Amino acid sequence: MANNIARAPLPLPEFAKVRYHSWQLDDLTPATENTETTYFMQNPTSGIEVSGQSTTYRHVSEEMISQGVIVMGMKQAQMAHGDLVKKLIGRVISKQADRLSAQNYEQFNTGIFVYIPEHVQVDDVLHLILNHLAMSGQDFVARVFVYIGAHSKVTILQEMHTIGSEKTKASVVIEVLANIGAQVTYANIDSFGEQTTAFINREAIVSDHATVDWQNAEFNDGNIVIRVASQLNGEGATSHANVIGLTIKKQTQGLVTTVLNKGRHTVGRIFQRGVILNRSTLVFNGIGKIIKGAKGSDAQQESRVLMLSRRARGDANPLLLIDENDVTAGHAASVGRVDDNQMYYLMSRGISERMARKLVIRGFMGEVLAKMPTQAAQQKVMAEIERKLQYEDD
Amino acid sequence: MTTLKVENLHVSVAGKEILKGVDLIVNTGEIHAIMGPNGTGKSTLSQTIMGHPAYQVTQGNIYMDGQNLADLSVDERARAGLFLAMQYPSEIQGVTNAEFMRAAINARRPENDQINVMSFIEKLDEKREFLAMTEEMAERYLNEGFSGGEKKRNEILQMMMIEPQIAILDEIDSGLDIDALKVVSRGVNSMRSDEFGTLMITHYQRLLDYIVPDFVHVMMGGKIVKTGDASLAKKLEAEGYAGLRDELGLDVHLTDEEINAEV
Repeated sequence: MANNIARAPLPLPEFAKVRYHSWQLDDLTPATENTETTYFMQNPTSGIEVSGQSTTYRHVSEEMISQGVIVMGMKQAQMAHGDLVKKLIGRVISKQADRLSAQNYEQFNTGIFVYIPEHVQVDDVLHLILNHLAMSGQDFVARVFVYIGAHSKVTILQEMHTIGSEKTKASVVIEVLANIGAQVTYANIDSFGEQTTAFINREAIVSDHATVDWQNAEFNDGNIVIRVASQLNGEGATSHANVIGLTIKKQTQGLVTTVLNKGRHTVGRIFQRGVILNRSTLVFNGIGKIIKGAKGSDAQQESRVLMLSRRARGDANPLLLIDENDVTAGHAASVGRVDDNQMYYLMSRGISERMARKLVIRGFMGEVLAKMPTQAAQQKVMAEIERKLQYEDD
Repeated sequence: MTTLKVENLHVSVAGKEILKGVDLIVNTGEIHAIMGPNGTGKSTLSQTIMGHPAYQVTQGNIYMDGQNLADLSVDERARAGLFLAMQYPSEIQGVTNAEFMRAAINARRPENDQINVMSFIEKLDEKREFLAMTEEMAERYLNEGFSGGEKKRNEILQMMMIEPQIAILDEIDSGLDIDALKVVSRGVNSMRSDEFGTLMITHYQRLLDYIVPDFVHVMMGGKIVKTGDASLAKKLEAEGYAGLRDELGLDVHLTDEEINAEV
């Protein structure tokens, strides 16, 4: 894939109202660390855990294997299913998409590959755990590809963590290709550490009558830019992109959530809820785009940010770009503070101010929290909220 | 015995004086009703006792058993034994009713002695059935999408779960049909004991047919102008507030007076 012909560098991906050029995310040295430790997965959970270069846990049921389901570390998949991997990678997020995605395409040396053939219903929630081993000071460059065949159904829970505390960068590009009639729920909890500066790009292609729903929980502690996107290419394709995030200390977290309505009668929903503490910055950009010819489509978005500190900075920017008349669309956005009446009500029942605030904040993110696919994932998100709220008084 | 004592209470909201010297004593074991025309300060009294930040005490004091409430935050007042069933309860998405009530009960218990989940559920089921509330109610988000009647029932359910010493019920009857009113009243009556006192705020005598008070106070122009027994409420029903005002020779304007005069 190396190309020696000199060419103008691609532009950096756009994250409106987020200044991240100085993070130097386009200068990465892929790490090569190995480990034998499994950090998060426990038998018999379905799925895979990849840490650095190592796959330390993998459990795929006999039934799934007999149906042709592939769940592998990216390196193993490139060896075992080279042609398939080569054919698919870059199909959703092109290698020319932007400078950071292109660089990921050139440099990734780890990741996860999932292939689900047509007419397969995966009953277990499929866990995909990616850990950045930040021990040598080198960077994490990972690629995830999830292919869902026609009329198949799967729920994915992806997690990302930093192990180790060296100051490093991470680039993770995640492609989801949902074929005709596929039903996909893609939940993720991103928890990169304070010393990890990262770019995460998740995008799905949604074919005719397929559904891809994102439940995207951002609990990273470092500086990070995140893109979540759905291309509703097929007739009647649907995508709900739900995002929650909580920022602390001095971190900056910038998001762009995009739904592109291309097919007729497509339905796109963006729903974002963020909480900002201390001196941190959280920016939600929501983009709903309906192209000409996508008749009968619907693009809705709602982004709300709660500021818990006067020194915090928050933004919720809705953008609707519509090039077709026969559509419905709408947006709502707000930046506000904790509702005093709710606090008063909770406290009037004897609940302390601290606990009441925690309940209100959890409630604020409750709609997305409730959609996390497992009880364990819901509890994990609640634990993350509590962990981050400990910094409230800093 | 616990005593709530309101002494010469003056309260302002946004710079305007609403309460102009209220005196009141509520002991556990007693049921008090405060009646009065619209805009006379009944809700102001209840919110001030609970400690709503928008209500400013400019003069006078409120005590619970000698403890001055001015020194206590809203949650501390609640833990001291006060409860306010609100006229307009907040809706809180993402927090279930059951979880909220458990947090409220646990807030009153030491950290190493939190209520056991099974005993909590048993108690909740018992009280919920007593108030003819459905099982799914417990798992719904706090007051979210509840009808007016469901919210009132939920306030009473919370009261029965928390078991306060003194409960203030702010227009718990408003917006209830007669069947719901009976259910809510049954809940309040079930709490009646030497360990429990109530201050009910209402416009209508009807509520007092179901929860018979020991004392009835009439509030007008930011003060309690008359106190009597249950028969005072019946008299008011018959003669209206204007009749009482004229009898007492008070110079108080009643919001709805002109309208009634035209009828």
